[in-house]
Amino acid sequence: MNHDIDIKKTRINCFRQSKVPGEFMLQMRVPGAVIDAKYLKVVMEIAEKWGNGTFHLGTRQTLNAPGIKYENIPAVNAYIKDYIHDVDQEMCGCDMEADETGYPTIGARNVMACIGNSHCIKGNCNSTELARKIEKLVFPSHYHIKVAVAGCPNDCVKANFNDFGIMGIYKMDYNYDRCIGCGACVDACEHHATGVLSLNKDNKVDKDTCCCVGCAECVLACPTSAWTRNPKKLYRVTLGGRTGKQNPRAGKLFLNWVTEDVLLGMFANWQKFSAWALDYKPEYLHGGHLIDRAGYKTFVKHIFEGVEFNPEAKMADDIYWAENEQRANIHVMPLSKHKTAGPQE
Amino acid sequence: MGYKVSFEQANKIFDKLWDKYDIYAPKRFEGRGRYSDTDIVRYDKVNTVEEIVFDEKSDYPAKEVLAPISQTLFYFTEDEYRESKCSTRPILIFMRPCDINAMHHQEKIYLGNGGYTDLYYERMNERVKIVMMECTEGWDTCFCVSMGANKAEDYAVAVRCENGNLLVDIKDSELDAYFAEAPAADFKPDYIEKNEIELQIPEIPNREVLAKLKAHPMWEEYNKRCISCGSCTVACSTCTCFTTTDIIYHENGEAGERKRTTASCQIKGFADMAGGHTFRTTAAERMRYKVLHKFHDYKARFKDYHMCVGCGRCTSRCPEFISITATVNKMSKAIDEIMASENN
Repeated sequence: MNHDIDIKKTRINCFRQSKVPGEFMLQMRVPGAVIDAKYLKVVMEIAEKWGNGTFHLGTRQTLNAPGIKYENIPAVNAYIKDYIHDVDQEMCGCDMEADETGYPTIGARNVMACIGNSHCIKGNCNSTELARKIEKLVFPSHYHIKVAVAGCPNDCVKANFNDFGIMGIYKMDYNYDRCIGCGACVDACEHHATGVLSLNKDNKVDKDTCCCVGCAECVLACPTSAWTRNPKKLYRVTLGGRTGKQNPRAGKLFLNWVTEDVLLGMFANWQKFSAWALDYKPEYLHGGHLIDRAGYKTFVKHIFEGVEFNPEAKMADDIYWAENEQRANIHVMPLSKHKTAGPQE
Repeated sequence: MGYKVSFEQANKIFDKLWDKYDIYAPKRFEGRGRYSDTDIVRYDKVNTVEEIVFDEKSDYPAKEVLAPISQTLFYFTEDEYRESKCSTRPILIFMRPCDINAMHHQEKIYLGNGGYTDLYYERMNERVKIVMMECTEGWDTCFCVSMGANKAEDYAVAVRCENGNLLVDIKDSELDAYFAEAPAADFKPDYIEKNEIELQIPEIPNREVLAKLKAHPMWEEYNKRCISCGSCTVACSTCTCFTTTDIIYHENGEAGERKRTTASCQIKGFADMAGGHTFRTTAAERMRYKVLHKFHDYKARFKDYHMCVGCGRCTSRCPEFISITATVNKMSKAIDEIMASENN
């Protein structure tokens, strides 16, 4: 077998090195995690023809075929041209031209999503469609970023552990005259959410609006449609979540009650921010670290350039990160080892 | 007289009608459904024909117009009270035959039960003129034919919505005048003659069988399935239960108002009494109470018809997919079982 393989090149091409010398695992993107079932045949064909006959459900919702021999990579790349064309170029509208060379980059990771409100009774947004719109803005780009879209704050997709975790929310409207004071919403909020509702002495409902997470459990529970979603679609975004060996952490609340326009405006600035943070020299560095290096306030200045906020929008003035450090004082180091951000001398 | 009017002509007639009448009809509330990106259809004032939802069954019944979910009955101070005011403008309500029959069921309870007339219902009821929405197809939860509620002849106007036109049949001479310039058409409404669901209502022959039916294990299923939310009774065209609440305006004050609010026998606490006694403590008992009330007790007392018009809204609105017709069928089976064991 060939023992002279440019591992970095295959990785960027979305073929991950195996412990078995000369073997690789293809990762096919599924932005938004929903595609036509016919594409399962594509994965099957790859796995059975060039892979080891097994199929791995990628942890970032990619379709993976392990055991592909290095010499077969060109054939696989030619075979997935149509898939990349259909899914990323056509369905997501990414600025790219699918060809025989496979994925142009692994940079921005597959944009994940739960099934969202196209199916889920609890879902507040169409997470699949939103994920595809984000894919168009962040891919193909060498700059790393992990994004996941959850249909509601229950966050089944674990958006909290992504650089950007998006959750569909609503502001609720309360129709006083339709309320029968049954207390179902109070119980539902207490049980499933943040317990912001209470029955008052008039047998109507009081709400602590400040701690409402916008999940609409009250609407689901209400037998009279006294609680309804105000149809304006809004989102909550957590920032800086990650896993990893050094300093895994859940994201911190970053944006609340923002519209899709704000979200898409923000993601449209991601590549520009990344380029600036890395002094215009793309290198393999996780997106979250760029935010750390720049510092929250600098990051905010770049990422919202030209973005207009909706009136309901709230943004964190500052974020105090709390990391689950795998070893103590991980940030304390000689000055010479400190990371840099922005143009360097 | 029969007429055929375009939506445009109908809207002009609506404009004139609004000088005198309030017009209510099933209306779409976009994005206001139980689930995200779903709508609800419920009764509200409408100004144009386009606002009226003809091609869907409303989620909530027409009864909400006459007996609102909550309403103020009277205002009081320490030593006097004053009745709440109510508009005297006549009302046109667009209703399907099931809702019209349901209105007559409700009249019996509000205006006749116990020899007492409910003033607050009466003053609304007096204002109503019925606009019957022709309904010939129904939906998959409907069983109005089985309940004998598929027809209603006592309308002021009947309408059919067809290809952007309204065909109308007018029995009310005062309303007829509004159509003076409209082209005549030969129209009489049709009625649905067969639903997808045909329901056989079981006869409970005597108190012994009734007692055994109450104790039958069939009800236990609902302890696991029913969440006692009350969606079924709120959506019910015929349910009339309400509770009253005194709202005191100020912590130390003695002025306030008495409100009445829809109540549901399915919600925990409905049968609580002073002293802490409660009649029905489980979801199964509450379900049994409702089903027997609708399909036995009411008729046993009033001797005319069952307290259900087969609109199927309880089934449609149940978040736990409990079907009233399936439940009645289970009850029939249970009665057969009981009868068979008695005969042995």
